[in-house]
Amino acid sequence: MKKREFHKFLLAASAMGLVEIPLGITKAHGQTRGGTLNSILQPEPPMLNIAVNQQTPTQTVSSKMFLGLLTYSFDLKPMPSLAKSWTVSPDGLTYTFNLEPEAKWHDGKPLTSEDVLYTVNEFLPLTHPRAKAVFGHCESITAPDAHTVVFKLKAPFGPFMGAFDVSNLPVMPKHVYAGTDIIKNPANLKPIGSGPYKLKEWVRGSHIHLVRNEDYFKKGKPYLDAVIYRIVPDGASRALALENGTVQMTQWTDLELFDAQRLSKSANLAMTTKGYEYFAPIMWLELNNRVKPLDDKRFRQAIMHAIDRNFIKDKILYGFGKVATGPINSKTKFYEPNVKKYDFSLAKANALLDEMGLKADSAGVRTKLRLLVSPYGEMPARACEYVRQCLSKVGIALTLETSDPGGWAQRVANWDYDITLSWLYQFGDPALGVTRNYVSTNIRKLLFTNTGGYNNPEVDRLAIAAENETTDAKRQPLYSQMQKILVEDVPIAWLCEMEFPTIYDKRIQDLVTTSIGIHESFDAVYFKG
Amino acid sequence: MTAIVRSFLRHPSGMLGLVILLLVVALALAAPLLYPGNPWDTVAAPFTPPRTDGMLLGSDSLGRDIAAGIAHGTRVSLMIGVVSTLVALLIGVVVGALSGYLGGRIGELLMRFTELFQTIPAFLLAILLVAILTPSIRTIVIAIAVVSWPQVARLTRGEFLALKEREFVQAARCQGESALALIVRHILPNALSPIIVTGSLAIATAILIESALSFMGLGDPNLMSWGFMIGAARTMIRTAWWMSVFPGVAILLTVLAINLVGEGLNDVLNPRISRQ
Amino acid sequence: MTLKWLSVAGALGTRIGKMLLVVVLIAIFNFMLVRAAPGDPALVIAGQSGATDEAFIARVRAEYGLDKPMTTQLGTYLGKLVTLDLGFSYRQQRPVLDVILERLPATLLLTLTAFVISLAGGIVLGSLAGVRAGTLSDTLITLLSLVVYATPVFWMGLMLVLLFSVQLGWLPAFGYGTVGTNLTGMAALLDKAKYLVLPAITLGMLYLAIYARLMRSSVIEVSHQDYVKTARAKGASESRILWRHMLRNALLPVVTMAGVQAGTLIGGSVVIETVFAWPGLGRLTYEAVLQRDYQVMLGVFLVLSVLVILFNWITDLVYRLVDPRIKAA
Repeated sequence: MKKREFHKFLLAASAMGLVEIPLGITKAHGQTRGGTLNSILQPEPPMLNIAVNQQTPTQTVSSKMFLGLLTYSFDLKPMPSLAKSWTVSPDGLTYTFNLEPEAKWHDGKPLTSEDVLYTVNEFLPLTHPRAKAVFGHCESITAPDAHTVVFKLKAPFGPFMGAFDVSNLPVMPKHVYAGTDIIKNPANLKPIGSGPYKLKEWVRGSHIHLVRNEDYFKKGKPYLDAVIYRIVPDGASRALALENGTVQMTQWTDLELFDAQRLSKSANLAMTTKGYEYFAPIMWLELNNRVKPLDDKRFRQAIMHAIDRNFIKDKILYGFGKVATGPINSKTKFYEPNVKKYDFSLAKANALLDEMGLKADSAGVRTKLRLLVSPYGEMPARACEYVRQCLSKVGIALTLETSDPGGWAQRVANWDYDITLSWLYQFGDPALGVTRNYVSTNIRKLLFTNTGGYNNPEVDRLAIAAENETTDAKRQPLYSQMQKILVEDVPIAWLCEMEFPTIYDKRIQDLVTTSIGIHESFDAVYFKG
Repeated sequence: MTAIVRSFLRHPSGMLGLVILLLVVALALAAPLLYPGNPWDTVAAPFTPPRTDGMLLGSDSLGRDIAAGIAHGTRVSLMIGVVSTLVALLIGVVVGALSGYLGGRIGELLMRFTELFQTIPAFLLAILLVAILTPSIRTIVIAIAVVSWPQVARLTRGEFLALKEREFVQAARCQGESALALIVRHILPNALSPIIVTGSLAIATAILIESALSFMGLGDPNLMSWGFMIGAARTMIRTAWWMSVFPGVAILLTVLAINLVGEGLNDVLNPRISRQ
Repeated sequence: MTLKWLSVAGALGTRIGKMLLVVVLIAIFNFMLVRAAPGDPALVIAGQSGATDEAFIARVRAEYGLDKPMTTQLGTYLGKLVTLDLGFSYRQQRPVLDVILERLPATLLLTLTAFVISLAGGIVLGSLAGVRAGTLSDTLITLLSLVVYATPVFWMGLMLVLLFSVQLGWLPAFGYGTVGTNLTGMAALLDKAKYLVLPAITLGMLYLAIYARLMRSSVIEVSHQDYVKTARAKGASESRILWRHMLRNALLPVVTMAGVQAGTLIGGSVVIETVFAWPGLGRLTYEAVLQRDYQVMLGVFLVLSVLVILFNWITDLVYRLVDPRIKAA
């Protein structure tokens, strides 16, 4: 039979349990010990220390070797990691964390509160702007003893509890970094962490091989022997690698979406879109509110009506998404579904544009604008092409401009655009990942700020008020009110909430159990025998 | 002149090329009639196979008509090919003529300058230029012209070096004609034949470069070009073969036609005794 | 005798001197070109979290020397070149020389294989067509050459993938070796060879067509020369004539053309490496351009230009070897 048919036969046979693709596992206790988990990693990270470089692939690998104080459940509630318990004072100003006493570094030295202090006070401010911003709210960070850390805030800060996972506060070894040039420290390429896996080797362009940390503080864990991240530059090859069992999992955007859609139906593979709740990005059109006619609310509303966002979800995101209703993702805290709805209606769009007095010329064009294409792959390119066609039907003629990441970054940061496509992580809490795009205090010539220039004092007031409340019950109504205002004003045209498929061999257990999904340490992942 | 035309009409492969080329030009002109509307519009279900639901050549991942894309893409390819070649000819002929006519140190220097451009691999230079200047039809034309002019310059220089020693040029010089008049009225017309041939073949190369640039994502995003269509089809080659096959055939036929015409012109304009 | 060696050494010295000068000029030219690009690499390096912090971005700039004036940066660059220090890659966080050396073997493997295929195939088919001029085989070969020459290289690659990989399943579609295996020695070589077939053939086909046509017309032209007619008249066998008299002379234009094509061969590898996900210098250039990794861009351009210069020089030498007229002198 032909080679491809043979492969299909093999897969089908293994799914029926007739042919075992060997994993090298042995049974012990409830979970099976052993086995090597092979995964794709795309693209290759520049280094392996998440504290220095916060790009997604760095996080994916780094999080197996480093730990934060907490992690978060699917509904974004705090769960223990390096901190085994914690208390918050009634006035919401003092947060006390009790560290795991047995935690050790890969070189055998014990992990103490000194390391946490060093990380937050000296390391992160130099390399981690987000952490710097969050922990800048602290009046003091102290360590009363070797296993206790106390954070004292200057003023109540609602989202504070959501900023202690490994991507925000990866604890770094003081004895390795203190007194050195942090950026050039060789430990960035050969990490010394406290997590369940250690680096064995990194062969550039090929793979990153992590092995079990025998001295991990949770006895009996991790269950796996090793985790290998394989670097495969080509999308079709990655799909093939998953199909024929060379790798047992893919995540994020490793697979082209239509490949993911196809492979999710395989007999021996499982697919989940859970595990990204902490990031929950929304793909949107950033609108430069300074440029006519984008300065008119009706024009922006017309844009929302003119685009068939279901088509984008179905044919461009291949079903991996949900039409967005507003600025906050439905998975993020304080999401408000009761806002103004923008259904797909060319009639409504035209009506708004007519009301504005934007007349069409002989070619049917009411106005011309530029759309700066996001340079991150095929999907945004197709989305931009589709948006251009949609808007052309109501007389808005868009000229696409392509660029490379450096050029795009510079133009957007300097407000040199009319419309551009973008998406940002929300980090579980509007105060951490959403309000930055809508408050007037964040109108700066930097990326991922309020580059559109939207200015609404009411929104500013609500943002500050909600940030300063400490209970969810008090914060919800403020954010609900904010969403209602923003959805009416449309400073940004929200297209779709993005979902990402994690596709994995069915024998893998407990792979995605929290809202940071595959960015967990994998200490509880095992193969079913 | 009529003798040349008549010779060409009797050249079998040249005529074949000309016929195909005329069909291509006809398609370019007729595109808005055959496929009115915008080739970027979604008109069918995505991934429709050929000869289904009225899609002669199928549809792509966004349900756009492949046949409409090919028809409209004809204009893009021909236009970019011709314009960039004209620019390359302009630069190349001027530099080559000066280098050949002036000779000596200046001539040598101009030649070294030309060679510098030829040492950098042409396609890499084109990628760099388009990326720096940000992709648009204007920058693509510039990039193609920049990588194409050196060979025109070398050819022109060679012709001028040979021709300026001929008697009729010497005679004109004795009669007191200015350098410019000598170049334009006496030498250039006699150097034209190989330049025309090179130029026509350069159009084919220009079309190939443009399609390669578009394939790599460096094309003008507002023009549906054949290279772009193939680039968008690459990842889907297993499931939608028609997305990559047909635009490629279009490129092949057009370039082949131009090459046949160019070589036919070469045979007719520069006959050689021992040619088969 | 000594005089002859001295003159050879002198000529060699001048030649090398000229080559070095060209290299320096190219380095400066590359630098100007690459820096003319708008776009801010500091923002790209800073990424999603870093790009929001001005102090952070300023530090990145200082880190990579991006805040110094252009002339200083050029001077630093040229100075480092002398010590073969090609700079530091932003994206990959390691020296450019390491990055290039890592990718060089893949490109050399691809281009050299394609070159051998094209030259061998072109010479054989071209000679065949030339000797059998006017017959069916000649027409077929000429026609095929014409069609191949007109085919866009990236499309031909995709069509070969469609046929040999998707339809027939004989060869792998993309990549540089089977993922996930740790083969060594012969097994590794054979595995890599499987992945080399389609890209090398795709890249080589175009030049095969060029050399075939050139060889053909060259052979035809030579066959009409007097000395060949004389040899025929003397009764020498056809194959002897072909080998001894015609081939050496007919090869000259082909050798020249091969030298000229060096640059386009390397340029062509960019597209092929992209189509087939072949991790070579061509693909690296493309990625570096898109990522605005200036140091890598400059490094690769320089290395490739040097390769082209070297290649031209070698072709010159081969030409002198093959040209019987020069040898006799």
